[in-house]
Parts: sequence; structure tokens; C-alpha cells
Amino acid sequence: MAHNFKSDIAVDWCPGCGDFGILTSITQALSELNLDPKDVISTSGIGCSGKTPHYLNIAGVHTLHGRSIPFATGIKLSNPHLKVIVPGGDGDMLGIGAGHFVAEGRRNSGLTIMIFDNEVYGLTKGQAAPTMALGEKTKSLARANVFTKVNPITLALTAGYSFVARGFSFDMKQLKEIIKTAILHEGSSVIDILQPCPTYNNINTMEWYRERVYKLEDDKSWDPIIAPGNEAQAEEKFRKAYEKGNEWGDRIPTGIFYDNRTIPSFHKRLNEFVPNYYTNPPATQIVTGSDGYTPVDVEATFSEKIIH
Amino acid sequence: MDLSLTIGGPQGGGIDTSSNMINRAFAEAGYNVFGVREYHSNIKGRHSYNHLRVKEERPRSLKYPVDILVALDPDTIFEHIEDIGEGTKIIYDKSFETSDLAQARLIMRDTAKRIKETLDSASLPNNIKGALELAKKKGGIPMSIPFGEVVTTAISEGPASRYFNTLGSAITLSIAGLEQKFAEAAIKQVFSSKPKAVEDNVKVVAAAYNYALENGMAGEKLKVLPKKKRLLITGNDGSTMGKLMGGLRFQTYYPITPASDESTLMEEHENLQYIQAEKNKLKEGGVVVVQTEDEISAVTMAQGAALTGSRSSTATSGPGFSLMAEGISFAGMDEVPLVITVYQRGGPSTGLPTRNGQSDLLYAMFAGHGEFPRMVISSGDVEECVYDAMSALNYAHRYQLPVIHLIDKNLANTTDFVPDIDLKKVKVNQAVRPTSTRLSFKRYNLDTENGISEMGYFGNDVFWMTGDEHDEIGHVTEDPVVRDRQMRKRFRKLETALNEIPLEDMVQLLGDKKAEITFVTWGSQKGPILDVIEDLKKEGINANLLYLKMFEPFPSDFVKEVLGKAKMVINVESNMLAQAARILKLNTGIDIEHNILKYNGRHMTEDEILEAAKEIIKGEGKKLVEVLENGA
Ligand SMILES: Cc1ncc(C[n+]2csc(CCOP(=O)(O)OP(=O)(O)O)c2C)c(N)n1
Ligand code: SF4
Ligand SMILES: [Mg+2]
Repeated sequence: MAHNFKSDIAVDWCPGCGDFGILTSITQALSELNLDPKDVISTSGIGCSGKTPHYLNIAGVHTLHGRSIPFATGIKLSNPHLKVIVPGGDGDMLGIGAGHFVAEGRRNSGLTIMIFDNEVYGLTKGQAAPTMALGEKTKSLARANVFTKVNPITLALTAGYSFVARGFSFDMKQLKEIIKTAILHEGSSVIDILQPCPTYNNINTMEWYRERVYKLEDDKSWDPIIAPGNEAQAEEKFRKAYEKGNEWGDRIPTGIFYDNRTIPSFHKRLNEFVPNYYTNPPATQIVTGSDGYTPVDVEATFSEKIIH
Repeated sequence: MDLSLTIGGPQGGGIDTSSNMINRAFAEAGYNVFGVREYHSNIKGRHSYNHLRVKEERPRSLKYPVDILVALDPDTIFEHIEDIGEGTKIIYDKSFETSDLAQARLIMRDTAKRIKETLDSASLPNNIKGALELAKKKGGIPMSIPFGEVVTTAISEGPASRYFNTLGSAITLSIAGLEQKFAEAAIKQVFSSKPKAVEDNVKVVAAAYNYALENGMAGEKLKVLPKKKRLLITGNDGSTMGKLMGGLRFQTYYPITPASDESTLMEEHENLQYIQAEKNKLKEGGVVVVQTEDEISAVTMAQGAALTGSRSSTATSGPGFSLMAEGISFAGMDEVPLVITVYQRGGPSTGLPTRNGQSDLLYAMFAGHGEFPRMVISSGDVEECVYDAMSALNYAHRYQLPVIHLIDKNLANTTDFVPDIDLKKVKVNQAVRPTSTRLSFKRYNLDTENGISEMGYFGNDVFWMTGDEHDEIGHVTEDPVVRDRQMRKRFRKLETALNEIPLEDMVQLLGDKKAEITFVTWGSQKGPILDVIEDLKKEGINANLLYLKMFEPFPSDFVKEVLGKAKMVINVESNMLAQAARILKLNTGIDIEHNILKYNGRHMTEDEILEAAKEIIKGEGKKLVEVLENGA
């Protein structure tokens, strides 16, 4: 029987929350990719979004606020054969965890990062998230937001992510397809997911987004892919992705902005130096000798330390 | 033979090459050298020095005054005035004689001021001549050598100053009575990959030996001992080796002194060599070392790796360790096997970034919010760094918790001749992996007497983890009963550890069991105190050492028993608050009255501990605290 990727834990998000659509898109994507549940791990930070791993019937770590990316990177680099998906809040990823978010763009470890973009800190009762625009006043705020916003798409592009996309939690069909492509992508991917929070954000509602979103792929000439051999296209396609990434307001693009398959993943880079990395990664190495002692010949390894 | 020497000069000016040459030359003649490196937080120019001691048997401490002071710049003479005593030979370049204290602009302002006061109070001019005059008053013997001229007799091209460090070391070796061939052999090792450098430096060695002979400086020929194979390693090296022997395959770090040397050395050796007999049985693999964006990432990324079954760790120093606190709490709550090697330097804040300290013990004991079990262990010499690093990994995996391994900067930068690394001293207790996938695996199984639930592995098993309190498969729970049971289960692991771990890995009583005076210490004071105990014996005073290695869990019963019998207890630590004594009191209720403490960032030396101990002992215990101040 096919594995049920939805766990039996009761979901405690508010009724009407965009998170439900994301959860369904993830479970459907995992089913359709027909992945073995033991080969996919999810890691999250803290927030409403951070609860997602418990709702998925795959191994999951609900880590610390902002730290899902380094946890995920450790899992992936220790066992590069695993798929690691990283659902998390916009505060989690772009506020407290922003340093890790940028560093991961440089690493390109092969994580599937999904930003639950609700423009608020849901679980702490609606404070402004880094994605909220200057002057916006949601019902949870005492006064209008005094910060300008960070743009997840252009930030991801400049940080070096090799796959950058946007989905809408109420368009599960498109979102599921984006997630599938992202999971199969060898490097790290970022999906900015527009996620209405009906409890605290009365501005960016489902209806508000419905009126504005349009799909990049509806334009038949839109081609974000840079395939091996076509490295020369990268600059132009990056520029176009960046331009589209800046579009916001009356029209908000969704779909895949940038899909560069020519940037080597971090594990590929490590494989050049670490012996037998793919066939015998840290996670599966036997480190005890047949006699129960170390198999490492320390004097041969550190021969330069010997004085005769 | 018991030779103490200091070789000093500008940071980046070849001090390490000199020490390396001295180390290897004495090794060639069968002697043992023990040394410590002192340096500023600076890349080029400020004063740095190596303090060394040479003996037939292995030295385990350093002492002042030194027998030879090699000055590769004028600053060294100013800085080390206090290290000079009866018979100290001061080797320096004649050209320094025109140097003024005012020109030594890279001497720290306060240090220069103090040197000035010292010279002024002796009515001596504020220059090298004045300093050398003062040295003579202390019994020192200045040996002015025209460095440039001597080098030019051997090498005609290029700047002569490039060879001053070789020259200074060779003169030192000649004064010590070591035959020239040993100095040449050392040069061949130090410059092994550069034939031209070997050739030139060997010429300089010959010129130095000639000069020393002609000027009556050459010492009486030193007895040659049988040559043995040894390893020349530091505490940093020891920890790296131990980790790799102990099965570490994933290390994270963010650069910080004095911790990052461990990780960069590991990166250089990512290609592990296996014992021949195991090669056919095991698939060889390497170690992954990741330089992270910060220490928060380092401590969490290492945990991610651990969840897949890798033996993993991170290494840091005070400021980075502070950033790791929340992550350590997670490892405690979620029972993640994780080793954190903490290289202690002088704090607080950035403190004395390149100097010694033992002021992070209390923080290591309590870092992280909430109550969770952890283990805290410490090493006191280079060999212990090797085996403790192995044990730390074993403990982390056996008891599934964060293990903090404390190493002080002094030990990290101690160079020592280790005769042998025993591959069979510590077993590697890697658990047998499950062969089939376990869905909804009870990772936090409560049905366990010793508190240890079976380990689960991401990539094989499906279970959950959360920093929240959790049920047996790892889902969030706020149920009061499960909360209590999980708390108690986690803490039972510490009782298990206390019962299972051999006592000598936690605490040792070294020396005469019946002695009336007991020293208590931890970390790098172990060696110097053992030497002090021998010195005291010569004066008819019988003392022993209660040497602490594990602070959590704490071997209270044994410590109580030993201290209960002692007539006088003297605690020795490199901090201001006597932190180990506080932990000891917390666990045993015993208050240690006498403390010898040092927090100026420099290593403790045999002579100063001896003197302070005698003050306390002879003063019949009236003197409670002695603060040590040696070191430039
Ligand atoms: C270090 C730390 N600081 C603060 C918190 C409190 N906290 C919990 S959730 C959260 C914000 C979550 O916002 P976001 O990441 O956007 O997730 P959302 O709830 O909106 O899905 C904060 C600040 C915490 N858990 N840890
Ligand atoms: S607070 Fe907002 S984000 Fe959180 S569950 Fe409720 S609706 Fe969703
Ligand atoms: Mg949010």
C-alpha cells in the first residue's frame, strides 16, 4: 500500500489558515514522487509553520527558532542521499535565521526551503515579520509597521540559490508541482509561499492574493531553466528572474523564477575532496575496527608529526 | 640536564620555525622538549615567544628564570627582563644595543610604562643598554653577537635578517652543547621540502657553531641519548587525532583562536589512513569538516549530522561557546550525541583572545536554559587530549547527550614529545545499526531502567524530534505525567554514567596516598603541580594531587573520601573565582580554604606554584589566596 505522508497528529492551525494548503501540497508532492518515507526528512524552526514536521509522516525535526537550515544542512551533508525539506516561517527564515538563509545560498547543499510567507509572526500573536511592507497596519499591530520589507525572491537570488520560486497556498496544484521540481533539484531551492494568516493579517488575505497572482508559466516564452552546457544563459536568466522578483502590487507573479542546474551542489564539491564520500558518507561509516578499537592508523594519517 | 629557554621575537618573524628547529635538534640527540607558545592577537609584529624546557625524561612543566633567552628583536629583551636570573645567557644581535624603549612602539603601552619604571627605579637609561645592565645586576650574561656579520660569512645574497632565527637557535644549541650534526639534521626536517633553504640554513648553522666556538660560547659536549621515535604534538593536535580515532566523521566550526587549529588540521587530514588489517574488512571513508557562518550554525549543523548516526562535534572558544547555549539545550532535551570541544582562553567577552584561562568551567556546567543532563570533562596534558576526545565521543553516543570537553589555551598550544599513541587504550563503542526501517519508532522510549532509549537514525527510521517536551515517538506533548517521566528518564542517564565510567577517568589521586597536603587542580596545571610535589618532597614536605577530570557527573564520594583525610588542601586554578572549587563544594559540601590562582593569561610555572605553596604551607595555613603573576 502506498505510504500515507500525512501523520495522525491533530493539526492545530486556525481555521482558514493558508498552512493547510501547503501541508496538502507537500504530502501530495511526496506521494507523487513516490519517495520512500525513510529517505525524506523535514526540519523546521519555531512558529505556526514550525509544526509542519509533526503533521508529515516522515522523520522530522522541529528545531529551534531560526535554526532549521543548519540542522537540515548537517543531515544532508552527513548523508547526501537523503532528501531534506525545510518548511518554516518568514520570521524564522528571514528574521532570526537570515544569516543561515544567506549562507545556505552560498553552500547550495540541496535543501528544499519553503517559506510560509504570512508577513507576520503568527505564533507570537501577529507582530510584523521581515516580509511586511513599510506603513502596513494589520489588525494585530498597535501602529503601522516602521520597517521596510525584505523581498524573499530577490534575496534568495542574490544569496546564490540555484532554484527560486513562488507559490500560493490556495493554488495547491501549482504549489505541488513546484515542490516536486524543487525536491528533484540537486542544489538548494527556495519557495516563497504566499500564505494568508486570517487570524492576524487582515490585509494580505486569500481574496487579496487571488485578485493579484498570475502564473509565470502562462507566458509560453518564460523559461527559467539553465541546463548543463547552457551556462552562458545564466546571466540573462538571472536578470530576468530578478526583474520578475521585484514585481509586487497589483500583479504578483508565481511559478519558477530561476532554475540553474549548472551550479555544483555542496555535496558534489565535498565529493572532490573527501574520499568515498558518496559511497560511504559520514552517516553510514563503520568507525569501529573488527577488534572494537579504532581502525584509523593515526601515525600514517599524521605522519608529519613523527620525529625519528 | 634541565634546560629552560625562551625564544622571542616579532609575531610572524620565525619564532615557530626556531622552536621547531630546537625541538627537532634535541630530539635527534634523544632528549625531550616541552614548550608553550605565547602570542598577541596580532598577525605581524607584536611580541611573541616560546618558552621551552629540555630534559632527558619528559618535562611536564616550565619554569623561570630561564637559562637562555634568545632575543630576535629588542622588544624581547625589554619584555623578558623579569625572566632573567643568575646565569641567564642573553643572546641578541649587537645592533639592538642602539635601541631605545621609546622606539619599541609595538610593546603594549602599559607594559612599556612598567619597563620604564623598572629601569628608572634602578637609575638606568630607558634603552637596551639599560635593560642589559639590569639583566647583569640580576646575574644575567649578555652575549652580544653581530648577527648580520655572522650570517654574511655563510650567505652572501639576500637580506641576512632572513636567517636570524636559524642563527639564534643554532647559537643556543651550541651553548647547550649539542653537536652541530644534530642542528643540521633538524634543519633538514624543518625545511624538508625546500632543498635551497636546507642548504642555506645548514651553512648558517655552521657559521653559528664556528662563531660560538671561536668566542668561547660553545658549551660542554652534551651526552647523546638513544634516539626514539616520538610524536611532536600540541593539545590541538591531540584532540584532532583523538576525535578521528574515536570515529568522528563530521566536524563544524567557525574560526576562533585557539580552537580553529583543530578543525583546520582535521581538514588537512580529511583523507584518513586505515590500519592495514582493517582495510580489507572496512570500507574506508573520510571526515567532513564544514566552516559554518557562525557558532549557532556550528552547534546545530553538527547535531543535524548526529541525527543520521555520524559521530559529530564542533570546536570553539568562549565567545563562540556563548552563542551555542540554545543549541546545547536542544541537544540535552532531544538527547543528541554531540561533542563540543571548548578551548578556554582569557575572558570575559573577547578578553585575552590568545592567552590562557580556565574561566569557562562554570559556564560549561550551566550553559543553556532549562534542566538537562550533560557531561563536562577536562584534559590536563597532550596525551589526555587524545584519549579524552575519544571518550567524549563514546560518552556522547552511549548516554545520548551533549559532552563538553574543556581544554585550556595553554594546553592547546603546548608542544610535547609523546612516545606513542595507544590505539588500544580506548574502545570505540559504535552501536550496531538496525537492519530494517522502523516506522513511528519510539526514540524516547520511557521503558528503560538506565534512562537510555535505543538510538534512532534518520535515513533508516521514522520518528520525530522537537525542542518541546515530547512523547515517546517525539511528538509535542504538554501532558504533565509524560513530562515528569521524560525529565526523570533523561536525568537517569547521568546516574548510569557515574556507575559505568571507571573512576580514574573521572578523578585521580596522584602521588603518595597518605600525604597530609593535598593539591586539587584540573587542566594544564597537572604537570607543574606534579613537579612541585617532587620539589616539596626534597624539602621534607609530603603532598599529593587530587586531579579532577570530570565535573558532570561528579565523583563526589571519592572526592569526599580523599579530602576528608587531608590535613591541608590547596586548590590551584587559572581563574579568579576558583571555579572548580565551587563545583566541588556544590557536590560535596567541602569548602577548600586555600587557593593558588592566576588570571593574567599566562601559563603557570613550576617555580611560582612552588613558592606560593610554600607560603601557604609554612604560614601554617594563615594565607588563603596566592595570586600568581609570572609571564611576559
Ligand atoms: C530564540 C527564540 N526567540 C523567540 C521565540 C519566540 N517565537 C516563537 S514563534 C516566533 C515567531 C514565528 O514567526 P514566523 O517564523 O513568521 O512563523 P509563523 O508563526 O508566522 O508561521 C517567535 C518569535 C523563540 N521560540 N525562540
Ligand atoms: S496564527 Fe495565522 S499562521 Fe498561525 S495558524 Fe493561525 S492563521 Fe495560521
Ligand atoms: Mg510568519
